[in-house]
Formats: sequence, C-alpha cells, structure tokens
Amino acid sequence: MVKFGIEFVPRGPHWKIMYYVIQAEKGGFTNLWITDHFNDRNVYVALTTVAIYTNKITFGPGVTNPYMVNPVFTAQAVATLNELAPGRVVLGMGAGDKTTLDTVGVEMEKPLIAIQESIDIIRKMITGETVAYQGEVFKTTGAKFLFKPRGKIPVYVGAQGPKMLALAGRIGDGVLINASHPKDVDYAVSCVKEGVKAAGKKFDEVDVAAYTSFSVHEDVKKANKAAVPAVSFIVAGSPPQILERHGIDVKKAGEIKEALKANDWGRAFSGVTPEMISAFSVCGTPDMCIERIAELLKSGISQFVVGSPIGANVREAINLVCERIIPHFKT
Amino acid sequence: MDYRKLVELIPTANREMISQKLVDFILTSKNDEKMPSQLANAILHFWQHNVLESESGLTVLLEAALLLEPDKTVSVFSELQMTIIAEQIKAALTS
Repeated sequence: MVKFGIEFVPRGPHWKIMYYVIQAEKGGFTNLWITDHFNDRNVYVALTTVAIYTNKITFGPGVTNPYMVNPVFTAQAVATLNELAPGRVVLGMGAGDKTTLDTVGVEMEKPLIAIQESIDIIRKMITGETVAYQGEVFKTTGAKFLFKPRGKIPVYVGAQGPKMLALAGRIGDGVLINASHPKDVDYAVSCVKEGVKAAGKKFDEVDVAAYTSFSVHEDVKKANKAAVPAVSFIVAGSPPQILERHGIDVKKAGEIKEALKANDWGRAFSGVTPEMISAFSVCGTPDMCIERIAELLKSGISQFVVGSPIGANVREAINLVCERIIPHFKT
Repeated sequence: MDYRKLVELIPTANREMISQKLVDFILTSKNDEKMPSQLANAILHFWQHNVLESESGLTVLLEAALLLEPDKTVSVFSELQMTIIAEQIKAALTS
C-alpha cells in the first residue's frame, strides 16, 4: 500500500508548522519531510520539535546537502534525533540547489561523487565506526562519535537527473524523485531501476517516493492559484528537455525565469499557464488529485509526498488529504 | 482579562465550532510575531492531546486569537449572538 508523506518548509514560526505536523500525523500521514535551506528556520531544530510533538510518524530532513553541512555533522544530527525518536528518523540527502550554494560562495563540486562519499561517511559514523576516509570530495582522518549511536537510519537520495536517479537507486534505502507528472516519474523510476539492478537489489527493497508540488482545494481555481508561485520556480529551474517533454515553450519559461530574477512576481506568476501547472504539480479538487496520484502509482512508486504549497489554506488542505485522498488509497 | 471566565460562558455545544474558528484565525494571521512562545507551546500541547475544545484549550486559544486577531475574534462571538462575551472582550480591549 502506498505511503503518504508530507513536506513542510520551516519558514513560518515553529508553532504553525508543529500544528500542521500534529494534524498530519493524526490524519494518517506516515512520513514527514522538513526542507533544509539556510535562509529558513533551522531544519534540525524543527525536526527536534517534531520528535517531541509526534509519536509514530517517520521524519527527516528532505533534503539536506553535503556542501552546506559537512557529512559528519549531518551524521551527528540524525544520530542524536534517533535517540529522541528511535526508529522514526530518516535522512534525505541531495546535491543542493546551485543558486542557493552560489549565494553563500559554496561550490557544488562533483555532485554524484559528493553524494556517494557523504552517504558512505554518514553510514559509517552512525554505526559507530571510526572513519578514516580518503574521498575525492570528502576526507576524514579518524572521525568518531564520543557517544554510542543506536539504530538504523535509512538514507534517501533526492534526485532529478538520470545519473543521480541511478545512483539513488544503487545506494539509497529510498529515493525522493522531484517530479509531479506521470511522464517525469515514469522516466525517473526507469533510471532508479537501473541503479537498483546494478546494485543487485530488488526494486521493492527501495522506498521510491514522488516528491511533488501539491495543491488541493474544493475549488479548482483556488487550488491553481495557490500552486502558481511554486510552479513558476519549477518552470524557471527546469532544463529544456523537461520543458519540451511537456510541450512547454522554452522561451516562455525563460521569460518567467527573468521575471523571477528581477523579483517581478506579478510578471512571473502571470506567465504560468494551466499546462505548466499540470506538468509540474499535482493540483485540483480532491477527486482530480486522486486521479493524478493513481496515475503516478502505476510507475511503481511506494510513497507519495504532498509537497509545497499543499493548498491555499494549509489546514483545510491537510484535512482534505486526510479525509478524502488517503482513505481512497487504503481501500 | 480573565479568559477562563469568558470561556465558561461559551455553551458546551458551541465549543468545538468556536475552537475551530479560533484556530483558523491564529493559523492564518499575519500577526504571528505577536504569539508568545509559552502560549504557542500550550496550544500545541492541547492540540497534541485532542483537548483544544476543552475549557483549558479554549482559554489559550482565546488568549492567542485576541492577541493576533482581536477584531475577528470579537466578530465571531457577536455573530453567534454571544453578546455578553463580545461586550466583555470589547470593554477589556478598550480599557
């Protein structure tokens, strides 16, 4: 049976996010992901609060990257969280967002190698090993915790491009596919399968999640309106081959990107078309979302992640997912 | 203002509906910086334990709603014909 995850961006005050976190757990979500951006509230403070206010939901950063936070600190953070909430902690690792890394002068060096090496180091650290590691990107000379970490922490790899998706399938306990449309998710799953096969694993041993941009409302116009800002950023950041896969004019996407760069939100958002919303989000009434999720499930994903913006009114949107959408997939 | 005494005036039958409205005001408020952390933690505690519509839960919700959205909060009691509560809140807010 498909698992339902939900993503929160810790931009608002902690109590608002925690209200929604508690609501999501009560409503039947099994997985929770908190994004990690230096310009929002800190992800591990948010996750610590999640550990305190929840009892059963699985949670972790979704995703952190090894450039902004050295892998030994990530290992330390998740190992400590796993003491607060044993068996409920997972780790989402991705290469990060180049624009954000540029902002703080951090180079995205060899992302495939960096992900592989950082996960190697983290896995060794959280099993209590002394880690002497001579990688191409990361090096340690006898790193070891002065406490005894306990339990297993599954590592998910956030991926979008074919090589990272294959790597994710090969080394990940799970994969977070950044996509919302069946065409993109089908393609991504085929890449993940290559990696899974290369590692000699079975596909169902890996938790493969569609990490979507999601917006639900009883009124489709309100759902669409809420989705527009997130979709504009996805369109602006998508390579031409992805835009062309959905028949989206590359020139129009470029215009949105320019408007976003100029902080001209009105121009950027007005450039978003219904086709773009359909390509880059799961959006609409509960029935429309159910239809799209059912299509996505055909690709073989095992987790569906309700990502930002969730809806125009987050509380009402979570209720719609919990009362109308999740039950549909439990029967 | 004695929030607890005001809550005691709310008919039991209306408590769940009012708690839902107050939660909505609080979560959608643009004045979220006005929320004291202790009050926020109390709300989360009651929410976690499914007792936001209890007298204790409503007391913290009412205090938070009046801090963040006083006009909307007064309006909801006026609309529900709970004029004594609305008048007492108005008097306290203007004193």
